[in-house]
Amino acid sequence: MKETTNENNADPCLPGGLMSAEQWALPETSVRRSLKDAISHALTQLRAGVSQAEEPFESMDDLPELSIAQQHRLAPEPDYARQAVVIASSLDHARSEGALSREVVCLVAPPFSGVQQSLACFSESGPSGFIPGGTGEWTIIAPPETLAFSDQEACEWWDNQDLSRPWVITELAEFWLRRLSGLALVKELFRRIANGNAGAGIVGCSSWCWRYWGHYLENAQMSPWTPAPMNSERLGVWFTYLASKGRKSSVVVRMTGDGHYVLPQPEPDDIEKKKRSKKRKYSNFLRDLAATSRGNPGVALAIWQRSLRAQPDDDAKLEGDGEMSEKQSRAADCWVVPLERLSLPTMPQSKESVTGFVLHGLLLHNSLDIASLEVVTGVSAYELSLVLSRLKRAELVICEQPGERWRVTPIGYPTVRRHLQSWGFPLDQF
Amino acid sequence: MIDDLGIKDAFASITGQALLEAVLVIALASLLTVAIQKVLPRVAQKLGGKARLYLLASVPLLRLLIILATIVVVVPILVEPSFENMVAIFGALALALGFAFKDYANSLIAGIVTLYEMPYRPGDWIEVDGQYGEVRAIGTRAAEIVTPDDTVVIIPHNKLWNSLIANGNDGTDNLMCVADFHLESNHDVGRVRELLRDVAFTSPRTKTWQPVVVIVFNKPWGMHYRLKAYPFAPKEQFQFISELTARGSAELARQGVKFVSVPVAVD
Repeated sequence: MKETTNENNADPCLPGGLMSAEQWALPETSVRRSLKDAISHALTQLRAGVSQAEEPFESMDDLPELSIAQQHRLAPEPDYARQAVVIASSLDHARSEGALSREVVCLVAPPFSGVQQSLACFSESGPSGFIPGGTGEWTIIAPPETLAFSDQEACEWWDNQDLSRPWVITELAEFWLRRLSGLALVKELFRRIANGNAGAGIVGCSSWCWRYWGHYLENAQMSPWTPAPMNSERLGVWFTYLASKGRKSSVVVRMTGDGHYVLPQPEPDDIEKKKRSKKRKYSNFLRDLAATSRGNPGVALAIWQRSLRAQPDDDAKLEGDGEMSEKQSRAADCWVVPLERLSLPTMPQSKESVTGFVLHGLLLHNSLDIASLEVVTGVSAYELSLVLSRLKRAELVICEQPGERWRVTPIGYPTVRRHLQSWGFPLDQF
Repeated sequence: MIDDLGIKDAFASITGQALLEAVLVIALASLLTVAIQKVLPRVAQKLGGKARLYLLASVPLLRLLIILATIVVVVPILVEPSFENMVAIFGALALALGFAFKDYANSLIAGIVTLYEMPYRPGDWIEVDGQYGEVRAIGTRAAEIVTPDDTVVIIPHNKLWNSLIANGNDGTDNLMCVADFHLESNHDVGRVRELLRDVAFTSPRTKTWQPVVVIVFNKPWGMHYRLKAYPFAPKEQFQFISELTARGSAELARQGVKFVSVPVAVD
């Protein structure tokens, strides 16, 4: 089998580069962590009937969180324009190696992976301007305001789009609605791609939407590409890159409880050195974080931002450890709360089918306003407002202005996905 | 006759203390069984998906284990477990059951068979003799199902020997639902099939990774369509079928496809 991974480890902006979606694998986790997660999920479900807490989220950690300025310095949002350049060059590289045969490339990624934002930077007016490796300026195809089309109208709409020069769809999930008249645009697009008369383009698509259309169009073979999953090494490289903003200086991050190092990560030869000298102990935090976030960079970054603290909770303990000098202790830029002590959002108790319809609908369509959500779920606007307000208080969804579109939060995504799975809803492949 | 079987000898050594111990063990086992029968289904209701099914299915198995353990513990307390005593006790038991409780014993044995053949488990949707419902509990003698109209039906296990038992989901959470549409002829069959498939795919209750199939039969009165799909949870089946029927009918009417109706004679 031909290797279709496009590893671009040299660029810490997108560690691991792009790969064929079939090769995507969940980051490894320890048995201890898996069991712990499974038990805590079952307990959460059981507790739902007992506890009536209105605010499920509360920080278990009383250390001061990072200020906004510190967070912007140590765990900022990624530079999507830079990611766009890396994605374009990765695709170019893959095409030159013969790994990409179609003119239209489908880039599928779980929500919050940043692919949509990166693809938005492909526009001619974007900060990156001309994308290296591209064959010209890119046209961004935006979704129409209304998504109700007949087959004939959908055909006409695509005829009116400029597909003669390279085009980009930043998020396919915004081109359809799960209703009878809301499928035509995507059906017509896939028909054109399959027939080879859609020109050259990139289709960015949320993994949930992709899964749905994979089931709907059972015979379509699109061979999508995806960013490599963030394992502990890649997370370490990426977080260091974000904090150092491309400079060579590295950031030092340690655990609050035991002082073990999270960043910088051990170099391969450091592991041997560590075994010999036992000078520096490294934490498994990034491995657990990679498993908790299922290799999803946006989710990992949200949890990372939440877990960072300004100072250790127990300096005395660190000093008493005897393995770190005072100088070393001061050298840390920030500290990390162990995942066990970090309270992530939990699912509020409610009628599971309605909550499931809402959350599944939001993930399928990336984000929706109340009117569209009502159409997609069949739940009345009144009941929707009640459910959404509960989910909002639980930090599982957020309402974005302008447009008042609701979406799932990155920090709540692991809980949402797990509950949808246990309720029997169709999931994505990531 | 009891003397002939050696029952009298077998129970001759029973003392008051032994009797008390045996009663205590039986009481403890009963309490444990009741606790399991009450607590586990409640816990299972809180859990979703397969965890719920596994937990429900473990109830009768645990009860059987407790019964067996109780017998193993109680018999040596009461009688000396020699070969003669065992033959005497079980012989007498077999006679008593054979004559007095034939049907009861039949159901008990069928109950044990259901535990390893598993024709139905708690959480399954079954139909026996025209009664359809979810298996709520499997007792020693009978199973309890709850019909969609919230009526509890007791089904003796001995139905296993001579009745047809239809199991909708067979221990999984995949239960196929069918929505029927009876339409007049003279329409585009391909278009209607495509439309009904879209109706299933656009329902928020559909398990899209399971097959969605539309089959059609040509009948003397018109066309009979059957839309088959799986809801995300078996308990959603009636809502699911209703939704498919309502949305499918509305869309077919919008497309100008007419339904057939059977003339009803009124006195």
